[in-house]
Amino acid sequence: MDGNISVLIAVLVTWAGVVWYLVKVDRNVKRRSKP
Amino acid sequence: MTILKIAAIILITVAAVLALVTDPPLASLTAGGGSSRIFFFHVPVAMVSFLSFMIAAGYAVAYLRTRRPVHDEAQAVAAELGLTFSIVAMITGAIWAKQAWGAYWNWDPRQLFLFVLILFYGAFFALRQATTIAESRRRLSAVYLVFGGAISPFLFFVLPRMYRSLHEDANQVVIATQGKINMSATVGTIFALSSVGFVLLFIWLFQLGRTAARIQSVSEGDDQ
Repeated sequence: MDGNISVLIAVLVTWAGVVWYLVKVDRNVKRRSKP
Repeated sequence: MTILKIAAIILITVAAVLALVTDPPLASLTAGGGSSRIFFFHVPVAMVSFLSFMIAAGYAVAYLRTRRPVHDEAQAVAAELGLTFSIVAMITGAIWAKQAWGAYWNWDPRQLFLFVLILFYGAFFALRQATTIAESRRRLSAVYLVFGGAISPFLFFVLPRMYRSLHEDANQVVIATQGKINMSATVGTIFALSSVGFVLLFIWLFQLGRTAARIQSVSEGDDQ
């Protein structure tokens, strides 16, 4: 279980990074798509 | 669209947490136990890559019928996402294979045919760069992706089943026993959450990619 918790934290931190980057790109594209 | 994005993030997060705090789906497999949790990501990602290739083929047919540049942009974005998800499926599969079968690469039919698909769709982007004439590029791309849509079901579903595969262990324990779904309620629920989450993520990325492609076409004056 201890091993799983460290894997879980690693997965969640990585996923948070992916989401942060996606949201950033999404906002950027939305801003540039407005005339 | 905002709800869809939030739903994608929540579903994948919940699936990740549940996958790691519940019992592994293939505890009965020798040496494969804990690592089998990656099943909840490996299989949905592979399913989404197949969905992407089919959507790319659908937009390719739409382009050939209508010749609208937006359909060309959509087919390219879908193919790009399909390739990306295939590579993720290949990497997650290799990590699992190392734990369960002892090596990252095992010449397993499913591994091999997914690799063939990755090469096929990788070549698509080389083809798109091969000509600077917009009309030729779009038409060539569309024909290539229609062909891709025709061969993908065979490479995903038919050919891997024609040969003995290391995947058979996993298939029998989790997915199907004599044609029936064989998942416990917990495994089925996490798998469903993850699958829906990845489909929503695909929709988000697809819309994002299409908007970005439109901006690029307009700025390059390539939207005629």
